Amino acid sequence: MAEAASPQNSAPQSPAFESPVVRSYPAMRAGDLTLSDESAVTKWLVRAGADGPAADLLGAPFGTSRAVAGGALVLGSRPGEWIVLGTAGEVAATVADLAGCEEQEFCSALDWTHGRAMFRVTGTSAARMLEKVCGLDWSDHMTPEGAVVSASVALVTCDIARNDRDGVRSYLIFCDRSFGQYLFDALIDAGNEFGLSVAAASHSHSAD
Amino acid sequence: MLLVPCPNCGPRNSTDLRYGGESHARPDPNTASPAEWRAYLYLRDNPAGWLRENWYCASGCRRWFSIERNTATNEFRDPPLPGDKRGGAA
Repeated sequence: MAEAASPQNSAPQSPAFESPVVRSYPAMRAGDLTLSDESAVTKWLVRAGADGPAADLLGAPFGTSRAVAGGALVLGSRPGEWIVLGTAGEVAATVADLAGCEEQEFCSALDWTHGRAMFRVTGTSAARMLEKVCGLDWSDHMTPEGAVVSASVALVTCDIARNDRDGVRSYLIFCDRSFGQYLFDALIDAGNEFGLSVAAASHSHSAD
Repeated sequence: MLLVPCPNCGPRNSTDLRYGGESHARPDPNTASPAEWRAYLYLRDNPAGWLRENWYCASGCRRWFSIERNTATNEFRDPPLPGDKRGGAA
């Protein structure tokens, strides 16, 4: 069970991480697309008012993302909800900054690391692949670099963040842990025609 | 395909949302008669024309909102703006 904590006493300390992706995958045809399981990255969910002091501090309104000074990545996933990603230390520093907001509004932070799967799809064909399993418009003018959306991907409710790598189109896809294996397989199925390869999974909990 | 204009997420396929039925005011529990409660719970106008409805953006922003839909043509009008407190209320 996930630990609920207030920002004041939050300290990301998680037990050994086990990825929701348990199958092993043979070497596939190397191509344009790469799919990797990054579920081990520390993920926290922050909830507060959509226009309160916590929102000002996080600086990522709904639909946008921002890399904060401490190194964490903040995703504005819903009005009044943010996902904070990074190493345990980076996320802890960002969550600790919210401590002062508690006096002005209700603000909660929850360790999502073990409850959510996170995958990364990278490649110039990533948008075409997503179009096969999601009904949103993945063109640059609708979902530019840094965009964050929530939508159904292969019939699973997901948060999706565009987070390009070295100028190459890349998406982070989050879903509930219990759907992780299914969604991973569905993404492989969708990406095969573009030459998708599965990168080695990271099964260790990220830490400083 | 029915595109529903969510005030936060923009136009979304109706399969991404949950239909919440007609939007009408909840009677005051301190003064409502049994007949009024019955009407609130079970009776619907069901017009062939414009109707204010509640929708839940289940796959997107997870917010309720109310909007007018023409039940004959599936046109939408008067979507609430982001942050509008109307929500599912009439």
